[in-house]
Amino acid sequence: MEKILTKKSFPQWVKKLSLYKIYAPVRDNDICNLEAIDNPESIDLDCSNTVLSPKKIIFPQREIYLEFETSDENKLQVKEILPEETPSVIFGVRPCDAKALTLTDKVFSGDFKDPYYWKRRNSTTLIGLACNIPPSPNCFCLSVGGSPHSKEGLDILMTDLGDKYFVESLSEKGSTLINLAKPLFQQPKAADKKAVEKTQAEAEKKIVRQIKDIKKIPSILENMFDSPLWDKESLSCLRCGICTYLCPTCHCFDINDEVSSSSPVKGKRVRTWDNCQFPDFTMHSSGHNPRPDRSSRLRQRILHKFQYFVELYKDYQCTGCGRCISKCPVGIDIIEVLDKVSDYGS
Amino acid sequence: MVHNDYIPKLAHILEIKEEVGGARPIKTFRTQFQNKNDFSFRCGQCAMLSVFGKGESMISISSSPLVKDYLQFSILKMGRVTSALHEMQPGDIIGIRGPYGNGFPIKDWKGKNLIFIGGGIGLAPIWSVLNTALGKKEEYGDLTLIYGARTSKDLVFREELEEIKKKIAVHLSIDVEESDWNEFVGFVPQNVTDKKPSPNNAITITCGPPIMIKFVIKALEDLGFKDEQIYTTVENKMKCGIGKCGRCNIGSHYVCKDGPVYSWAELKKLPQEY
Ligand SMILES: Cc1cc2nc3c(=O)[nH]c(=O)nc-3n(C[C@H](O)[C@H](O)[C@H](O)COP(=O)(O)OP(=O)(O)OC[C@H]3O[C@@H](n4cnc5c(N)ncnc54)[C@H](O)[C@@H]3O)c2cc1C
Ligand code: SF4
Ligand code: FES
Repeated sequence: MEKILTKKSFPQWVKKLSLYKIYAPVRDNDICNLEAIDNPESIDLDCSNTVLSPKKIIFPQREIYLEFETSDENKLQVKEILPEETPSVIFGVRPCDAKALTLTDKVFSGDFKDPYYWKRRNSTTLIGLACNIPPSPNCFCLSVGGSPHSKEGLDILMTDLGDKYFVESLSEKGSTLINLAKPLFQQPKAADKKAVEKTQAEAEKKIVRQIKDIKKIPSILENMFDSPLWDKESLSCLRCGICTYLCPTCHCFDINDEVSSSSPVKGKRVRTWDNCQFPDFTMHSSGHNPRPDRSSRLRQRILHKFQYFVELYKDYQCTGCGRCISKCPVGIDIIEVLDKVSDYGS
Repeated sequence: MVHNDYIPKLAHILEIKEEVGGARPIKTFRTQFQNKNDFSFRCGQCAMLSVFGKGESMISISSSPLVKDYLQFSILKMGRVTSALHEMQPGDIIGIRGPYGNGFPIKDWKGKNLIFIGGGIGLAPIWSVLNTALGKKEEYGDLTLIYGARTSKDLVFREELEEIKKKIAVHLSIDVEESDWNEFVGFVPQNVTDKKPSPNNAITITCGPPIMIKFVIKALEDLGFKDEQIYTTVENKMKCGIGKCGRCNIGSHYVCKDGPVYSWAELKKLPQEY
C-alpha cells in the first residue's frame, strides 16, 4: 500500500494511534533521543539519527528476569517477570537501525528463544524514515548491504517529499496503522512516485564513506587472528565501551542479582547491557583472561562483526550507522580498520 | 506459557561433603528438585546454579545420568556465588537451570578403552562419564583413571576412589613428596608419560587446569595418540549458558552451547581464546 500524508496531517495520524505507546525522535539541543512521547508535536522527524537505536526499546539496557523473596514461612519464592506486551509504535526508524533488529532477531532466536526480546519485538511496529540526507557524515550503509531507503525490517517506510511524506506500508502491522486514520491519507500521483525515485537515487549519492573491499573482508580476517594490526589499531582505545553500547547490533549482556534485603533475602535478577571492550568481560574469577588486552578486544569486535557473524548467519553484524565512528573519543574508525584489513589481504 | 530458559527451577541441597579444605576448598553437593520436571542430561553437560541474591555460576554435573535420585556438583570456592554455596547447609534452596552444553559423545565410544586424565577439580566433569562407563562396564573396553592434585589433601572423591580402585586401574599423583604417599610424585602429564597408556583402540578424556591440559595433550601425542582420540573440556566465563550473552565465544563457537567438550582435533582449529 502506497499513500501520501501531508506534514500538516502527521500529528493527527499520531493522535489516532492512541491505543499504542509511541516512541519517536525528540530533539534536546543538539542531540536527538528516541523517547516515549505523549504530544505528537514533540516529534522531530528532521532530527539526525538518535543517539541510541530502537535496540534500546526492544532489548532495553536493563531487563528484570525474575524476583525472589523469602516468605513468612521462610520459604524462598521465585517469580518470573516478563515484559508486558504493550502495543508500541516507533517513528523515525532509520533503515540501518531497522536492519540491525533483523540481526539481533537471529541472535535471540534459535534453539533458545528469548522471551523478553520477542515479547517486546512482536508488540512493536517500526515506522521507518528514509534518509534523504545521510544523518551522519560517517554513514556507510551501502557498504554492508543496506541503503538509505532500505525497507528491510520495517513495517512502514516514510520518505520526506518536502511538504508531504510518501508512506509505504510493508506489512500487515503497517497497514493497520494507516487504516486507523484512513481519511488523512491520499493516493499518490505519478509525480509523487517519480519524486520518491529521484530523492532515493540522490540520497545514495550523498553517502560518501565506504568500506574498500567488504566482500573479501571475512576471508581475509580468517588469517588475521595473530596479526600485529590489532595492537596498532587499538593502542589509543580507552576501553570506554561507547562503540558497542551505541551499536544497534551489539547484544552482549550481563546477568546479576540486585538485592534490596540480604536477610531475609529479597531482590531481582536483571540483565544489563555488557561490553566486550571491558577487561572483566571475559575474566575468570581466577584472574585468567582469554582476552587480556585492548588488542584482543578490538580484534573480537571486528572479527565478531565481519567474520564470526558471517559464518553463523551469512550476514555482517554491522549496518553502517556510523555511531561507533562518530562517538569514539579517540577516533578509532571501523572503516579505516577494515580498509587496513583489506591491505593485509592484498 | 512461553518457555523461559532464564528461570531456574528450585532444588534443595540433600547432602554436602567437604572434599578438600584449606585455602582452595572444594565441596560436593547433592541436590534434588522441589518439583518433578524433565531435567535430563548427558555426561559432560553443565548446569547454571543460582544462589538467589548472589547470582549464578556454571558448574559441571558430576553425577552420572544413571543416578536418578539426585544431581551432584563439586565446587571449588572462588568468588561470590561459589563462596555462598560453600556456606550453605543441607535443606537450603538453590536454583538450577540447564542442562547446557554438548556433553561427551559416549555413544561413539562403545567397545573402546577409556583413559580418564584429571587434575584437581577437573575430576568433576570426568566423574559423570567415568561412573556412567563403570555402570555399563560391559559396553566398554578397559577403563583407566590417571588423577592428580597438588597435595594428597587436594584430591577429591577420595573415598570413592578407593572403591573404584577395586574395579579399574587408578593412578594417582601429587605434585610434591609427602611422607606416607606410595604413588607417583610429579605433575599429571608426567604421570601420563610414566604410565604409558596405549593409544590402541583408546579414547582419552582430560580435564583440569589449562596448563595441565596443554602438557597432557603433549604427553599423549608423544605416546602416539591422534588428535581425534583426545577429548577435553574448555572453561570460559559464562552468564547466559545459551549462546546469547556473547562472552564465552572462541571464534564463532559459543562454548556454553557448542562446547564445553571438544576433541583436540576440533579445538586445534579454533583460535586460542580460552
Ligand atoms: C563449562 C564450565 C564448567 C565448570 N564446572 C565447574 C565445576 O564443576 N566446579 C567448579 O568448581 N567450577 C566449575 N566451573 C567454574 C565456575 O563456573 C566458576 O568458578 C564460577 O562461576 C565462579 O563464580 P563466583 O561467583 O564464585 O566468582 P566471581 O569471581 O564472583 O564470578 C562472577 C561471575 O563471573 C562468572 N565466572 C567467573 N569465572 C568463571 C569461570 N571460570 N567460568 C565460568 N564463569 C565464570 C560467573 O558467572 C560468576 O557468577 C566451570 C566453568 C565452566 C565454564
Ligand atoms: S569507543 Fe573507542 S575508545 Fe571507547 S572502547 Fe570503543 S574503540 Fe575504545
Ligand atoms: S554464556 Fe552467554 S553466550 Fe555463552
